[in-house]
Amino acid sequence: MNTIPITIDDKKIEADPGKSILEVCRENDIEILTMCHLKGILDIGACRLCLVEIEGMNKLLSACTTKVAANMIIRTNTDRIRKYQRITTELFFAERNHVCAVCVANGQCELQDLGYKVGLDHIRYPHLFPQCEVDTSHPWYVLDHNRCIMCSRCVRVCNEVEGAHNWDIKNRGHQVRIISDFDTPWGESVTCTSCGKCLHACPTGAIWPKAIVQGQLQKNPGMICELMEKRKMRL
Amino acid sequence: MKSDTAVPGKELPKTDPRVKLIAAKLKKENYQPDALIEILHTAQNAYGHLPKEVLTYITKALRLPPSRVYSTVTFYHFFSLKSKGEHTCLVCTGTACYVKGAQQILQAIEKETGIAPGKVSADNKLGVQVARCIGACGLAPAVVIDEEVQAKASPEEIIQKLNAKIGKI
Repeated sequence: MNTIPITIDDKKIEADPGKSILEVCRENDIEILTMCHLKGILDIGACRLCLVEIEGMNKLLSACTTKVAANMIIRTNTDRIRKYQRITTELFFAERNHVCAVCVANGQCELQDLGYKVGLDHIRYPHLFPQCEVDTSHPWYVLDHNRCIMCSRCVRVCNEVEGAHNWDIKNRGHQVRIISDFDTPWGESVTCTSCGKCLHACPTGAIWPKAIVQGQLQKNPGMICELMEKRKMRL
Repeated sequence: MKSDTAVPGKELPKTDPRVKLIAAKLKKENYQPDALIEILHTAQNAYGHLPKEVLTYITKALRLPPSRVYSTVTFYHFFSLKSKGEHTCLVCTGTACYVKGAQQILQAIEKETGIAPGKVSADNKLGVQVARCIGACGLAPAVVIDEEVQAKASPEEIIQKLNAKIGKI
């Protein structure tokens, strides 16, 4: 296959055309922070963490939804990008009620890891402290809106991998919430197959199995990608 | 997962003319899931809002996931899950109308009828809504009562018109 030459952080790379900047970076061990990206499902460029600078372009573009093009000169680690990563991370924390000390995902949380990575020590924005519901109607699982960051990974996994499309998003702006069916309690959903893939896809502790306590959550987000690859190989 | 995968909800009476309108639109669009927004438009125009049974009916007919339909309905401001009232009064609060006294009109309506902006009266007779701009800045302040534009409206005039609509006079 023909490859195209691109430059990422002064490093010359031969990339496969048709791949996203994010894919090429990951193949070449160049770190790009992501939150809404999950290998195996479609990228939507929602979290704005993977923004990169491309020479000749004023805007920052999301690495997950931008395809590589010949002679692209990409920068992933400039002051401007680090500034935006910091802002985005702070906004994640300020939007809902993230309290690591009482969270099931403590130590297993991508949002927590992100905070450490960008060196988050304080948040410059006022916390919104919204009154969020906790849906415990499902016999096995819990959905806690307080810990949701609206990455929509559960929505896409349910739709693309399981094919049930139990989840979707209601409203817009700061009132957005994950919903099942007609905003019915999860336990009363007729489309949910209780497969549990959304648990593994969730980057935080927003969806978790009942009967576990703080810090006990075990997740395997890589399982989604494995499943999709096995499907392609199916004889 | 429950054995019955059909979306629960009351069946709509087939003889209802509003249901007939939606059924005709569904047929015209060939039950294509992409026609969801057009069909929701028809339903909203027929009912004035989108009751749960109607959403269930459309969901089944288009074979769409219920959450997808609900998501679409709550995303667009045009669609409403609750009744907007038999009569509607839409007050424009765009810059021109705001300067010309849209707030005074809203306050007068609330004082007279007790209906806050965005709310509906208890008897469902009158609903008061606000719009960012209806594009009639030359007529500021503009108020739309039951799809009829009231140009250069004064609070007294609007109150009088509304009282006539809800039958107080």
